[in-house]
Amino acid sequence: MVPAEYVITDEEKEILQEIMNIAFGKAAADLAEVINIFVVLSVPYVKVIKAAELPDYIRHEIRDFSHISIVEQNFWGEFKGSALLIFPAGAGKELISLLDDDAEASVESGSIDLLEKETLMEIGNILIGACVGKLTELLGDVVTYSPPRVIVENNPREIIPANLFDQDYSAIVMKTVFRFDERDINGFLFLTTNPESIKWLKESLYGFLAQYE
Amino acid sequence: MNEFGQILETINIGLIILDKELNIRYWNRWMESHSGISAGKIVGAPVFDFFPALNTPKFQRSCKSVLTFGNFSYFSQKLHHFLFPFKTASSFGSRFQNMQQSCSLGPLRNGDNVITALYITVQDVTELAEYEHKLLEMNMKDGLTGIYNRRFLEMRLRDEFERHTRYSRQFSVIMLDIDFFKKVNDSFGHQCGDFILKSVSAKIASIIRKTDFIARYGGEEFCCLLPETALGPATGLAERFRTAIAGLKNVYQDLEIDVTISLGVSEMSPEISSPEALLQQADKALYMAKNSGRNRVAVL
Repeated sequence: MVPAEYVITDEEKEILQEIMNIAFGKAAADLAEVINIFVVLSVPYVKVIKAAELPDYIRHEIRDFSHISIVEQNFWGEFKGSALLIFPAGAGKELISLLDDDAEASVESGSIDLLEKETLMEIGNILIGACVGKLTELLGDVVTYSPPRVIVENNPREIIPANLFDQDYSAIVMKTVFRFDERDINGFLFLTTNPESIKWLKESLYGFLAQYE
Repeated sequence: MNEFGQILETINIGLIILDKELNIRYWNRWMESHSGISAGKIVGAPVFDFFPALNTPKFQRSCKSVLTFGNFSYFSQKLHHFLFPFKTASSFGSRFQNMQQSCSLGPLRNGDNVITALYITVQDVTELAEYEHKLLEMNMKDGLTGIYNRRFLEMRLRDEFERHTRYSRQFSVIMLDIDFFKKVNDSFGHQCGDFILKSVSAKIASIIRKTDFIARYGGEEFCCLLPETALGPATGLAERFRTAIAGLKNVYQDLEIDVTISLGVSEMSPEISSPEALLQQADKALYMAKNSGRNRVAVL
């Protein structure tokens, strides 16, 4: 039995979802203002599962993507864990056009894949930073990040080993939709965190709510 | 100088710190020795004063996102070659004019966790890039003829196919085959056959434009990839190949051995669903050319 303090209640989930939507709104405003990337971020649902169930969950949820690209980044603060941003194959190429520099003109033949990888890393880095950064900022924490890792276009079965995640860890699943320039790019953002972080998160959620009471 | 300071000054990596206005705050000895600019001269100056070419949208965006969001940013050698235009460190001839660099940017925070600066690391990867280049070349050229091999052709074909799907760019392919090549081998021996293969591929390689690719597809079969080319001009080019080879005098050990080629041309269109299907179409046209008497160009 998992102690109650590590389990997220429906009420807490609702607060979290509400905060995520506020965080994403603010993140989108920052992205537009600072680096001219216009993106609408939304979170249709939030769910908390055991991290060990995550590989199965990912396989089930994204089975329509035969190949996926993953950006993985660790974050450290009171809220600590790792973020996985998953895009369907091909999203990387769509994202290239978002960055309005002439990188493409200078790319030598045969290196579209490289450009895609670098773009995924840059956009993934920006999105994870914006999402995790804003969430923790709203909850009064500051996090720092590890450099991102990118895996481009692999079969999901091959890249998500079941033993990747600690038994005690929880995974916060956020189905996120990134809407860039009238184009929807569906992505999944998963945050896996340790029990202490979940405890901190629960306390912070009520702390956040208390501001408005 | 403390221990960390000694490491920063002697490490084989360039280290730079920029403040929020992108003025240089730190410039380690590695940067001094490769740029020829001393720290005393450059510290305090805006980085763009000394390196105006750095002022690109990508670099600006990277700095902003590092300074505002605390992100990391990378400039890989493969895409960017270098951030700082330095000479290659080795005095031996190099295929690169400039030192090839792999660079990263990251945030620096003060005691209150507020981002106050960013750092840049610069790694010299010239030697690696050279090895990689040599390996790639060995991997994409045909050993006998020196033109591209089939593996490279298929890779380029996929690229062109993708470009076509994304931007609707025209492109065509020519498949060609030396007529009665088996007879050459049987009558004059395989060394002579090799000589003919080299002679024919060299002639065609001398005709194609810079942007085209000629590859040895199989035994005596060649494939020519023509980016940005519609069927009409592609067929014209195929005809030029045909007349050039028909008029080519191959002299092998005092014997003149004349050969002809048959060619099939096809153009990429929305009905063609894969790179393989495009090649198949050109191959079909090639067989038409063969069946209707050889030494000719055919289009489906």
